[in-house]
Amino acid sequence: MEREFICIICPNSCRIKVEYEGTNIKNIKGDECPKGKDYVKNEITNPLRVFTGSVLVENGDFSLISVKTLSPIPKKYLKKVGEITRRIKVDAPVEIGQVVAFNLLNENIDLVVTRKIKKKNSLSS
Amino acid sequence: MQEREVIIIGGGAAGLAAAVACQQKRIEDILIIERGDYLGGILQQCIHDGFGLEKFHTSLAGPEYAQRYVDQVVDKKIPFLLNSMVVSLTSQKEVIVINYRGLQHYRAKVIILAMGCRERTRGAISIPGARPSGIYTAGVAQELINLKNYMVGEKIVVLGSGDIGLIMARRLTLEGAEVITVAEKLPYSSGLPRNINQCLYDFDIPLLLSHTVVDIEGNGRLSGVTIAQLGKRGGIIPGSKRKIACDTLLLSVGLIPENELSREAGVVLDNITGGPQVDERGQTNVAGIFACGNVLQVHDIVDNVSLEAEYIVEGVAEYLEGKLTKEREIKVELGDGLRYVVPQTLCRLKDTIFSFRVNHPGEKKILVFEDSKKVIKKKFLRRVNPAEMVRVKLSSSEIEEVKTLKVKLV
Repeated sequence: MEREFICIICPNSCRIKVEYEGTNIKNIKGDECPKGKDYVKNEITNPLRVFTGSVLVENGDFSLISVKTLSPIPKKYLKKVGEITRRIKVDAPVEIGQVVAFNLLNENIDLVVTRKIKKKNSLSS
Repeated sequence: MQEREVIIIGGGAAGLAAAVACQQKRIEDILIIERGDYLGGILQQCIHDGFGLEKFHTSLAGPEYAQRYVDQVVDKKIPFLLNSMVVSLTSQKEVIVINYRGLQHYRAKVIILAMGCRERTRGAISIPGARPSGIYTAGVAQELINLKNYMVGEKIVVLGSGDIGLIMARRLTLEGAEVITVAEKLPYSSGLPRNINQCLYDFDIPLLLSHTVVDIEGNGRLSGVTIAQLGKRGGIIPGSKRKIACDTLLLSVGLIPENELSREAGVVLDNITGGPQVDERGQTNVAGIFACGNVLQVHDIVDNVSLEAEYIVEGVAEYLEGKLTKEREIKVELGDGLRYVVPQTLCRLKDTIFSFRVNHPGEKKILVFEDSKKVIKKKFLRRVNPAEMVRVKLSSSEIEEVKTLKVKLV
């Protein structure tokens, strides 16, 4: 089977032409770095994406904090993780990298914070 | 009147990178003036990842990328004002700021313009029809959803395939909305291919090329839009109109560099980029006024904004040392296939990074730099796309002899 993939790993958006059978790559062209090959391998076996979204925060200088999965997760879980994040609430202050949810869907999916949120009315920066 | 060596207007990606770069050049007397209530600008609402691959060799979310600079600004105690709007800028580099303390007057030796850009609105593209609520620019919707915890709608049509529109199509889907389609007027997308892939195709959202919204319906709230297919010359193809029921229309139809202050200070703008015309280190026609980031030219990647800011600060440092003299004035001439080039003029003999956008998508193109007699440099481009800025460096030795400089795509 032949297919063209557009690599999403970096802004180069490499068009990678792949000839494969099942999950076995026979011929690959257009991958400008090793990440492209890994991306295609994943795409034909188990496509992975980083989920990004937001969760509610209480007593913070903002009402939402942005989060992402610690590592890329199977694409099929993106919408489910989205639903779960709408029910999560955390308390300010929150630091970048802080884990706010563990082992979602029993699939080792952890959410970490990507924005620093201060406690409401606090003066520290 | 307070004096400063450098005043940076705007505390977003460009302004922060410029401030940090100034500090590293031991320019200490800096002031960043930001009109919003936080530093980081648009990055703080861009909660998706993919930022920082070039600059930090890792994939960051927008707020993480911003924080790396905010931390440096705080660590180095670089002064900044928040909730402070520059209401006037003169060619003498006098600045009037308005904030909760009232009006303040400043004068600087150098002004760095880093005001970024704003979105084109419905008015700018003149979509006819009713005027109900439920019509947002993509960036405003992004701010509402990601920062203000306000969901904009349930059934959504996106007009325009700019990157923010694509990112928002995914974001809205993950928040439980139904994104019915993304319509793009042009026969190709104006967003990055990887965003079409991971924001639309991943969620089976159709991208309708050569389509636009021709009518808007709704009494109070938006109830539907009419889309139509466009022919080769941009006219509506008869019989192609169809109605789509929806409660929300997002517009991702382009960005405009925000240059009202620049104009007031006598800075000459480029008609195509909408940003100032600059020399090889981002200096405008007004001595001591520099520009970087989206106020200079709309970028597709924030890493390039940071790099551009660092790069123009080399010129700022030389200006402050009195070493930035005009050695020559060569206008960079634009040939076939290219929409614009920055810088527009060369005033000194320096290694120079040129930024371009092409007119049309294409494959196997060659970018050619030439003076009146010979080819100076050629660069092979496997693919070109108007959505992707091309950056090419010419060394000082390559442009040493030139009297004129023309670039074209063949």
